[in-house]
Amino acid sequence: MNGRQTILIVDDEPQIQRFLGHALVAAGYQTLLASDGREALAVVAAQEPDLMILDLGLPDMNGKEVIERLRLRSDLPVIVLSAHDQEMEKIMALDLGADDFVSKPFGIGELLARLRASLRPRRAARPEMIRQDGLSIDLAAHRISRDGEALRLTPKEFDLLAALALNAGRVMTHRRLLELVWGPAHVDDVPYLRVFVGQLRQKLERDPARPSLILTEPGIGYRWAQPELGEI
Amino acid sequence: MNAPSLGGFLGAACLIVIVTLAAGAARHALPEAVAILLFLTAVLVNAALFGLWIGIASAFGALIGFNLMFVEPHFTLHISQPRDLITLAVFLLVAGMTGVISGRLREQVDAAHARAAALEVLSQFSSELAQARTSSEVAAGAVRGLHALARGPAVALAPHEGKLRLIAAEPRQFLPEARELEAADIAFRRGRPEFASAQGWHGSRLTFYPVSGNGAPGPVLGHARIPSDRRDHGWRGRAIDVILRQTGLTMQRLALADEAEAERRRATAEELRAALLASLSHDLRTPLATILGSVTTLRELRETLPPAAQSDLLSAIEEEAERLARYVEKLLQLTRLQAGAQINMAWVDAGDAAQAAVTRARRSWPQARIETAIPPLPMIRAEMGLLEQAVFNLIENAVKYAPGTIRVSGAVQGRTLVLAVADRGPGLPGAVVEWLASDTMTRVKELPGLGLQISKGIALALGGRLAQPPSAAGTRLEIRLPVAEEPGA
Repeated sequence: MNGRQTILIVDDEPQIQRFLGHALVAAGYQTLLASDGREALAVVAAQEPDLMILDLGLPDMNGKEVIERLRLRSDLPVIVLSAHDQEMEKIMALDLGADDFVSKPFGIGELLARLRASLRPRRAARPEMIRQDGLSIDLAAHRISRDGEALRLTPKEFDLLAALALNAGRVMTHRRLLELVWGPAHVDDVPYLRVFVGQLRQKLERDPARPSLILTEPGIGYRWAQPELGEI
Repeated sequence: MNAPSLGGFLGAACLIVIVTLAAGAARHALPEAVAILLFLTAVLVNAALFGLWIGIASAFGALIGFNLMFVEPHFTLHISQPRDLITLAVFLLVAGMTGVISGRLREQVDAAHARAAALEVLSQFSSELAQARTSSEVAAGAVRGLHALARGPAVALAPHEGKLRLIAAEPRQFLPEARELEAADIAFRRGRPEFASAQGWHGSRLTFYPVSGNGAPGPVLGHARIPSDRRDHGWRGRAIDVILRQTGLTMQRLALADEAEAERRRATAEELRAALLASLSHDLRTPLATILGSVTTLRELRETLPPAAQSDLLSAIEEEAERLARYVEKLLQLTRLQAGAQINMAWVDAGDAAQAAVTRARRSWPQARIETAIPPLPMIRAEMGLLEQAVFNLIENAVKYAPGTIRVSGAVQGRTLVLAVADRGPGLPGAVVEWLASDTMTRVKELPGLGLQISKGIALALGGRLAQPPSAAGTRLEIRLPVAEEPGA
């Protein structure tokens, strides 16, 4: 840990701020509070927190607007708190650059896991090798093996695998994955993506019917499983 | 043209006989030219009074009279002098023309009168239609029009639970007999007119026409036969056609208006439900998120949580659980109210509803000071449970947010019934006042809880509104509902 990281909690409900405050302090973070979008943007500018937890139902502007304005000048990681009836808003927030989401109500463990994944430096000099769950992914040589046995992937499958594995623990929206692997012209070809994810699971997962590496976020995208501590 | 009446014929004959006798008696003193003028005058009068055919008949009558009295040999129809034959021929020509022209004139005047009378009936009918709000009002107007036009009894029958029922009759005491009901039923089932039987036959005395109201079976209108020997027969028949057509169109208009009204009510109920859902999901989610988050924090981070933080989390859980319990309570009330979603409007004593709400509030908050001023109020169309809930929520709001006495009152202002709950509290936030004035159900953030929203929803669903008239101190909220016409009034 590089000192105590600062989390900005943006929520208009004092009760949510109350328990999140206690929990984050107990988990070793410093906290900042804001109760609407304008205040949140001001705090980001003045105090440079390390991450923002953003409720999508703010009184003054919607979460999408906050993220849009934030992304104009900062790539501060953002985790959105959303309700089930805010599905569309959640997807838009993620597409606009939010890093992850947690649906209300949530256990603190889930939020802390998302926090850790999002706080991990994103561009930590792209690793040469990723090892997880018996898989060895050689990103430089485009080679992959499980338990020493080489697996054959097509170039597109490998690109998709790399896009997911490099963002372990973070949700990747359909749109984001399609853009990264197939380019901006294909951002709506979700069925295409589904076929490739199915192929990848067939080749990588120990039990393709119950995937443990490539997890589905229904309606949103996919998430590469968070590596156990000590892996990587 | 119209057939002459027997009375007219006799009257005309009398006049000719009188003129003949008078002229005959004075024939020595009377120049022949003057006598001719007298006879022509009689023909003119007859034609003007009784019409064309009697006018022509009078011309022949006058010819005979003149022949009897003034043509040699006297008192016979014989003509001895050829000169007299020419005189008589000219006489007949002039008398005939007089009869024809003045008879025509007479008939034109009659037709104009008939037209005017029919038009008057029609204009009366259309002004009644314009004011009619219900199909029975339309039927009553149509029946009055048919009565005036056909100069006989007229009735309207409407289907009710599979059978035709009398909904209007003119004259009011007229009761259709079995033969009429049978004819009406045939017209209704076959969807085409069923004509009255000819005079002297033992069938329906009335002709029945089915009136369709936008596909749905409408009423059946019946009217007496128009006597076909009347001169204005045609005009009345055409006016009756107009009345039947207009009645059908108005019934369609009313059916469409009813549909639109039902649609509006459905939309209001739908909006109410959506607003309640949004409000509930908002109000339930925060306590749930707080409770789950606090519990998992206590469990997973207990070692690093300072004791003060632990106890704060515990009280947060307690507060939120209580908040949740109150919402669930209200949710259950609402579910009960909304079960079935449609509102069962009935005649309700609004005073009873207000009193019941006060009683319930006194039970719930024994320490609250609630005084009432509820005079006897007219019955209104509403649902008792909903109305009571609406008043109760207003009282609950006052108990929660305003110290001091709460006053529950009822009054009638014009055609509006007002149930008011007034307190001496700090008043409502501006945003809530604006929200109250608007038509929307979508909640604003400043709304304290669900109560006001539910009350507003109920007021809207009952066809009224929740209003906040400006008051000097405190808050006065009024449930304003329309006072409907009482049945039979």
